[in-house]
Amino acid sequence: MLIGGLLIIVAGLMAFFPSLNESDTTVDWISLPLVGFPIIVSCILLAFASQESRARKEVLAVPIRLFTLVASMIPLAISTALFFDWLILVDWDLMYNEYALEKEYVWIETIGVSWHVGMDGLSFPMVWLTTFLVPITIITTWNEKDGATYHPLLLMMGGALIGVFVALDLFLFYVFWELTLIPMFFLILKWGGKDRRYAAQKFFIYTFCASVIMLLGLITLYFLQPEGSGAQYGTVTGRTFDMTVLFSNATAYNMGDNVFLGKDMQNVLFAMLMIGFLVKLPAVPFHTWLPDAHVQAPTGGSMLLAGVMLKMGAYGMLRIPIAIFPDAVVYYQDVIMAIGLISLVWGAIVCLGQTNLKKMVAYSSVSHMGVILLGIASMQPIGYAAALFMMFAHGIISPMLFAVCGAFKHHYHSMEIGAMRGMAKWSPYLAVYMMFAWMASLGLPLLAGFVAELMVMIAFWPEYGWWILLPGAVLAITAAYYLWSMQRTIFEGGDEGQPPESLNGETPPDITLSENIGMIILAIFTVIFGIFPFIALGMMDQWTVAFFEGVFNMGGI
Amino acid sequence: MEVEVFSTEFWQAFAPEAILIVGLLLIFIIPNLGNSKFRIPLTKVQVPWFLGGRRFSITGSPAIPGMLATATLFTALGMMAIESVDGNMDTTTVTSNGLVILQLDNFSRFFEILFLAAVLLASMASLDRIPAHTFSGKKSLDELYDNRRQADFYILMLTTAVGMCTVALAQDLFVLFVGLELASLATYVLVGFHKESKAGAESGVKYFIVGSVASGIGLYGLSLLYLEFGSLQLATIAANWSDSTLLGTIALGLVLVGFGFKVSAAPFHFAAPDAYAGANSPVAGVLATASKAMGMIGLIRVLLVIALPEGGTDESAIWLYTIATLSVITMTWGNVAALGSTNPKRMLAYSSVAHAGYMLAALTAVGAWKWGEIEAPGDYAEAIVAAVLFHLFVLVAFKLGAFLVLGLLEMEGEVSRLSALSGLARRDPLIGTAMFIFMLALAGVPPLAGFMSKFLVIAGIVSTSIGELWMNGTVSFSDLHWVWWLALAMFINSAISVFYYLRIGVVMFLDIPEESRRKPLPYGASIRMAIWICLVATILLGLSGDTLIDMCYRAADSLNLA
Repeated sequence: MLIGGLLIIVAGLMAFFPSLNESDTTVDWISLPLVGFPIIVSCILLAFASQESRARKEVLAVPIRLFTLVASMIPLAISTALFFDWLILVDWDLMYNEYALEKEYVWIETIGVSWHVGMDGLSFPMVWLTTFLVPITIITTWNEKDGATYHPLLLMMGGALIGVFVALDLFLFYVFWELTLIPMFFLILKWGGKDRRYAAQKFFIYTFCASVIMLLGLITLYFLQPEGSGAQYGTVTGRTFDMTVLFSNATAYNMGDNVFLGKDMQNVLFAMLMIGFLVKLPAVPFHTWLPDAHVQAPTGGSMLLAGVMLKMGAYGMLRIPIAIFPDAVVYYQDVIMAIGLISLVWGAIVCLGQTNLKKMVAYSSVSHMGVILLGIASMQPIGYAAALFMMFAHGIISPMLFAVCGAFKHHYHSMEIGAMRGMAKWSPYLAVYMMFAWMASLGLPLLAGFVAELMVMIAFWPEYGWWILLPGAVLAITAAYYLWSMQRTIFEGGDEGQPPESLNGETPPDITLSENIGMIILAIFTVIFGIFPFIALGMMDQWTVAFFEGVFNMGGI
Repeated sequence: MEVEVFSTEFWQAFAPEAILIVGLLLIFIIPNLGNSKFRIPLTKVQVPWFLGGRRFSITGSPAIPGMLATATLFTALGMMAIESVDGNMDTTTVTSNGLVILQLDNFSRFFEILFLAAVLLASMASLDRIPAHTFSGKKSLDELYDNRRQADFYILMLTTAVGMCTVALAQDLFVLFVGLELASLATYVLVGFHKESKAGAESGVKYFIVGSVASGIGLYGLSLLYLEFGSLQLATIAANWSDSTLLGTIALGLVLVGFGFKVSAAPFHFAAPDAYAGANSPVAGVLATASKAMGMIGLIRVLLVIALPEGGTDESAIWLYTIATLSVITMTWGNVAALGSTNPKRMLAYSSVAHAGYMLAALTAVGAWKWGEIEAPGDYAEAIVAAVLFHLFVLVAFKLGAFLVLGLLEMEGEVSRLSALSGLARRDPLIGTAMFIFMLALAGVPPLAGFMSKFLVIAGIVSTSIGELWMNGTVSFSDLHWVWWLALAMFINSAISVFYYLRIGVVMFLDIPEESRRKPLPYGASIRMAIWICLVATILLGLSGDTLIDMCYRAADSLNLA
């Protein structure tokens, strides 16, 4: 009943935005169900939960938690149904700059901002991943303290992230891009570790600084577009923030002899936009916020941060600068490759030196994001498809790694790798999941990560030749190191009967039921996408082919 | 329409302002109604006179002035809003002996609404912040003080409003100066009204001294302008500006000092942090919003209406480099100083210095539109002025809102350290969240009003720097006008500013409240109401600012810049 009431309120709100295309009477499956619903529900729940008395808050925690879980299942159900065509027949066979389920409403008329949403092969996997991860995260961190506000924040985070992926308007994109910072800021600030004050502020400021530079690039780009007239164009400025218009302008200019902008202008704007995305990704040398944020963030925050938020950077790159400035991509190709390679190698090497489990996982994320950059720098369709699949695969594997870290912290009260001894004896389930997650992260064949890494390597070879030995060697060395340290921590030392010191002599417990459920679902999906990658890869391939035709004017794979 | 002063049409056009004056007089009269009688000399006939003597208990209630002031402001504001929101205002010009004194148009009405909104919110908040106590029962000394100062406080508030409205309407620099001084003198006293702390009186005196020096310099500039042009009429000076000599430039510089002090631009901002920190919070909020807007009117009138070259030459305004330098210094200085201040009111004061810098940057861009290739400069200038107006208006929502939250905290003790805010989100989650939203709006986080305003200002600057270049096909980065770098400076500065805005959030959500602040927050119905109004405005104007943007454009349009 409550949900029904909410939907009515939201529908009333949406009536304020008159649609641009009045004859379009199809149901809007994106704005409200996927984006609006989670954000509005979480705001209402947070308002309920903001009680001064602690006791009342405790009482409210259980119903709010349950309600949040149910609410987070709705977007998941819808996005799954959209993929399998259960609700309506969705045509995913799209050309470049075509979107499924596209909807456009007027928002700020004077400067040409519209609420324009839609999905394609680039964004849909990310949207599904987000809708999938939010309930998993809620389940895995079911027992987090102060759940009355914690779980709604996760839900809000999910809504904002989906908003980033479905936005087809630069203004809207930026709004959601910044909106994701706020729930994450609170997650780190209120549920984080000892240095949470520092970590939360660093996280917010670092990414905010980068995104304002990106915004300046976007505004400059906005005014460099030719003036036009039409419903999307601002009544005062005569320009539009609509991405689809921007893309078709850019494509038209790129195809013909007439150049959209001067070469140096393209390069400057490309660099400004890329700064925002590279910091979010994060790539070395802009990665320093990530280890701090991850180490201090609560488990749920880390899972969403690593799982989806980092992908915002890669997504944004592919969506905006690369699509608009293909010449600049060629110009900067070696720089992107170098940054990717450095991230990969640097992340892996620093990872080896860590004694803190979570920091180690964080640096391994940096390393994996380097792989995405390599895929982009390869300028091969297969490299782009690989980058997309890497985003997806890492989005399932890294939350599992962080779930393991969280469970370890929860039960062993420590993050130090040295504190683990004989985990297989004390906590067999945890040991299995840890083992599995590490294997997946290393790229074990038949698990999702392997497919992506293999494809990147294939794309890398024709472009950069024997440089391939560097990432190959790094991957091999780190694999060996992980296996060795796993062998030490999980299997050795259990027989001596000495539980870890951090527990003060108590017997370490195994993971709880909710953690178990969350992790096993993640493990199952890692296997599914490892064995049947084409479930997701088919859509990504299609998008890549269309993208190369539309942007680089090249044929298929 | 042209009307003579004090003619019937005059009163019809200026009914809202007349209501303010009537309200002001009523606050003088009503508390003083009593049973006094007047004996006609040389007779024994006593005529009841009602002013003075033993005060009637109903009209003498200390709660009356506050109610009266709030009701007056509300009525006047409502009348103005109804008149102007739905469409264009008719331009009404007031003349006297052939001189144009006042002009009522979209621009002046926009600012009047802004001023009255700010003063109204502040006086609503003051109903709780400086409470009136009933006569029954024994009173502590503080309570008696509070009762004594009710009438004075609200008289000064209304005087400020009247002065500001005069500035908005003035078409003659002398009238503008009179209005400015009327408002300024009232605010000097209001700053000193914070009697609970020693800082109050000190800051009042400091503000008065620095302010009167700045006004003196400005007045000297005006006299030089008169010497140069033989008139202080805006229209006359603007028409003759292109023939002006060095004297005119010097005079312009001196006048800028006077207005620069009002908008607290560096290097004339030194009194501002002291004044804001010393004043009680609602008054500080008025200083940071309405008073700044008043200075901005002065700058717009002098820089844009008078000192922009009218001819079709390529040269840009003479003040271009001065204001550009000042803007960068102001925003950087404000932000860096705010980083180091631990007093929340000083921090907000420095942040308002930084905001002044942003607005100066916008004005610089207007001055740059005469350069070469821009063919239709009017649109660009209008867009930027509209952005500045939007910024000034939404500042009333979130900057005043932030000061009002501090005012709520002041009701339980001085707020001079950051720790006064600690644990606010736990003590009162809604107020804490509101404060955090105000901070995010100040920092310029979407989708709040602060983001919209910063966005519009920067978009205006960038659009000027690009101009009509997009028509040429291939635009090179070096083709952009240098004001583009001002946009970058603004962005870097707003990134710096996130540090200190976020710090307030961290303190509110993470820290444990001080010993003296463990009890629930004081209630204060009307101050909370004012905070909610600010909060709703902050969010709504960010989500859909179309109506306000339109209003700003109409206001900028009526300046007739191009």
